[in-house]
Amino acid sequence: MREDDARAQSALEQAMDDQVLTGRTSRRRFVGRSAGAALMATGLASVLSACGITGTATKNVEQLEQEAADVRHPKVPIGNWTFSNWPLYMDKSVLTAFNRKYGGKVKYVEDINDNNDFFGKVRQQLTQDKPIGRDIVVLTDPMASRWVRSGFVTPYDFRNVPNRDNLVSTLQSISYDPKRQFTLPFQSGAIGIGYDIRATGRELTSMKEFFNPEFKGKCTMLAEPYDSASSVLIMQGKNPANATIDDMLGAVEFIADAAGKGQFRRFTGNDYTTDLTKGNVELVMAYSGDMVQLQADNPNLRFAYPEEGAVLFTDNLMLPANVAHPYAAETMLNYLYEPDVAAKLCAYINYISPVSGIREILEKSDPDIAKNELIFPTDEIRERLKVYPSLSTIEEQRMYEAMAKVTGA
Amino acid sequence: MATQTLPTDPAAPHVPGVAPSAGAPRRDREPGRGRRWLLGVWSTLAILFLVAPILFMIVFSFNDNQGRFNFEWRGFTLKHWADPFANADLAKALENSLLIAVLSTVVATAMGTLLAIALVRHRFRGRTPTDFFVFLPMASPEVVMGASLLAMFLVLGVGTGFGTILVAHIMFSISYVVVTVKSRLEGMDPHIEEAAKDLGAGEVSTFFRVTLPTIAPGVAAAAVLAFALSIDDYIVTSFNAGQTQTFPLYIFGATKQGVPPQVNVLSTMLLILVLGLMLLNVVVQRRLAARDRAARA
Amino acid sequence: MSLSRRRKMLPWWFALPGLLWLIVFFAVPILNQVSVSLMSGDPEKGYELTWSFATYWDAIRDYHAQFTRSFGYAGAATLIDFVIAFPLAYFIAYKAGRFKGLWLLLVILPFFVSQVMRTASWQLILNDQGWLVARMQDVGIVADDGRFLATGKAVIFGISYNFLPFMVLPIYATLDRIDRRLIEAASDLYCSRWTAFRKVTLPLAVPGIFAGSLLVFIPACGDYINSSILGSSNTTMIGNVIQSKFLNILDYPTAAALSFILMGVILLGIAIYGRVLGTKNLTELAG
Repeated sequence: MREDDARAQSALEQAMDDQVLTGRTSRRRFVGRSAGAALMATGLASVLSACGITGTATKNVEQLEQEAADVRHPKVPIGNWTFSNWPLYMDKSVLTAFNRKYGGKVKYVEDINDNNDFFGKVRQQLTQDKPIGRDIVVLTDPMASRWVRSGFVTPYDFRNVPNRDNLVSTLQSISYDPKRQFTLPFQSGAIGIGYDIRATGRELTSMKEFFNPEFKGKCTMLAEPYDSASSVLIMQGKNPANATIDDMLGAVEFIADAAGKGQFRRFTGNDYTTDLTKGNVELVMAYSGDMVQLQADNPNLRFAYPEEGAVLFTDNLMLPANVAHPYAAETMLNYLYEPDVAAKLCAYINYISPVSGIREILEKSDPDIAKNELIFPTDEIRERLKVYPSLSTIEEQRMYEAMAKVTGA
Repeated sequence: MATQTLPTDPAAPHVPGVAPSAGAPRRDREPGRGRRWLLGVWSTLAILFLVAPILFMIVFSFNDNQGRFNFEWRGFTLKHWADPFANADLAKALENSLLIAVLSTVVATAMGTLLAIALVRHRFRGRTPTDFFVFLPMASPEVVMGASLLAMFLVLGVGTGFGTILVAHIMFSISYVVVTVKSRLEGMDPHIEEAAKDLGAGEVSTFFRVTLPTIAPGVAAAAVLAFALSIDDYIVTSFNAGQTQTFPLYIFGATKQGVPPQVNVLSTMLLILVLGLMLLNVVVQRRLAARDRAARA
Repeated sequence: MSLSRRRKMLPWWFALPGLLWLIVFFAVPILNQVSVSLMSGDPEKGYELTWSFATYWDAIRDYHAQFTRSFGYAGAATLIDFVIAFPLAYFIAYKAGRFKGLWLLLVILPFFVSQVMRTASWQLILNDQGWLVARMQDVGIVADDGRFLATGKAVIFGISYNFLPFMVLPIYATLDRIDRRLIEAASDLYCSRWTAFRKVTLPLAVPGIFAGSLLVFIPACGDYINSSILGSSNTTMIGNVIQSKFLNILDYPTAAALSFILMGVILLGIAIYGRVLGTKNLTELAG
């Protein structure tokens, strides 16, 4: 490919030299030449894309599981390795302590702002079976699922992660990774009702409030269909975990009807936070972890787990395919599952930790956090938490297309 | 004349030390007082409009916020200013941004200036298509440039990171440099250069002694523009950044999780730095002009 | 090599580095995207070149509303920016005296604060309970429901704000270059400052106005940051669609096709605009 590039360049220079050396050429000849150069550039471009765009065809799950059973990552020195995560999603002192304890140096980058954006950036390396230069990435359930079923992951060696036994029982199995061979939860959160009690004048408990004419134009809905459509399914009494694409499209349709009547002021990502704090809206579909932070500045803001149930989303630690430093990554996974470390992290991030036994630790060090229902949901609430459906890549595309029509893009 | 109008002019900016301008051009029939006043007010309002969100941002760098978000005023504090580099990633991102901006400015300004000179001063064949071609990047949506560049890097197996961001920034800056320098060159009398050549100066010395000094203000303006385009680019950068963080990338990521007040602090510091450099430039130029005048007198 | 030959090569040597850079890092990748726009397939199996021109027609059929909106918003913002910028540029060029530099500095100040940061600040300032929205309600810009954000007006506001300096600077540059003696002579002849302004200053400022309009209009057409921060689902622009097709829906051919339609319309528009303003060569005036 580089050779072609060089050849095209030298040909171009040749053309320019010719042009100059022959002196007075007719205008027509020049036009011919520049057309030639343009053709050359097109030729180069078509070489670039001759192979088309590789798809993310699904791998054989049994084959993957077989690989996972055989995986063995011997103990090696930690060295320099890379951990990619979301912004403000890590207590940096945990990293320093890790370096001190195990040696080596972790390059910690906060370059994941959005699951889809991130995937768009590394997609081509993954489909060409090349390393992406990261040893751990943190991805939310649907994207984690896509990576697992496309074979973009490396299974981790259980022997190097004995602390995985500390994973809470409710998360020990998930549809796309029933034995947790490829993913390990980092943090979880719930999607629920965020509101300003001064504005509403009453407590809200039902998802139905989002479709209540009382809040017409005064509420926001999440633009991510996995979040909003799954929540609507729960409201309708269905479990999103085993929903089909048609169920999801039906839910999107339901949202579209309300949107058409002007029910929602906006469709948002995390940016509903400004609309709620500034009083532009009274009711938002919110992520629990954001609400903990918003309450620190404004105690009138409330978060409720909907009585019908709520979506529990999980961000997962994963080793990408062709990972360069699997042992270092596994050592970090194991470290993050030490209850003391997990407790420290939980106190910093304020999302729901997947590590069991940390509440007892926090009751001593940080009783406010240990008492917070948004961080430690009661058993009764936990029973009402549901996970996302698992869809194929093509079904996902259909769902996103339908939702884009509703959000105007 | 100037002494009568300027200082009493309510439209004059309220800056301490306003003095009548000795160099103000003489004008006959000044427009009515009312209209002049209106023009000044309008301009002041326009400037206020431009800087309002910046002032807002600076104010909130002093906000004593409690959670991760910095939306609501909770009282004055200096705690974020006490340790502006507390967030190491943010500081690193700013460092990357500055470095990329400086490097891409230098390269793009050099290439763009030469290209502009070729386009304006030389009637070579293929000038018009070249002209049009140089203009094209300005007419392309950033998302297209970013995505297609990434596709090429991936196919060629070039790892994305600091280098690819730099390449991309130079690419989209060149056209703006060309356009800015060109307009300066077009306003310049070509006979001066011809005269220099007639007097025996070679191409090279004409370029360095005549052309370059004349277009220097245009080149400087182009450099400022290139720097500004680079330091604030989000879209193209986001596609080609790999693991390298830049300041805008960090901010965009943070808007999803709550922008830490250190962002406000560092943005303000960056602003002060740029402001300082530009004021310095103004002072130096004024000195030079004064020396010029003194030499002529 | 003879001297005359060397002299003929000179423009190429001057142009070469920049031109080569643009060819390798702009033209080649873009042409590559042209071939992507003619592919078909799906994200699971991949996309292959099938010369499917239908993508273009489908794109126009499905997204003409967003196209119209983009051009409408960008046009409105360009007009607003002209109204704000011309008096400001005029003031700086002729009335600011020795504080010219300071005023210009204030104009370019926003360039050095991240656009995302500034737009997010506006989002906080322009809240429904805010002072500014109340004042805008007083003068009738904002409807009685007191809602400004999440409307088309807010998006136009944001775009006008973000690209205003690009209008001020070229107008200022042309005004500043006008020979003052011309205006003085004209006002002596016409006996009225207003006529002198209309017959001399304004026509001479046309190149600056043209350049400023392009520098505002073009990036405004492809912008999606303002619409996504200040707008709502019925204010989405074509940039939002391209973005979501590229990154969420993974429909690369449609994303590429939409991009080229956008570029094509922009270039066509510029050509017509250049004709209307009576310029012989549009790129000559782009500065």
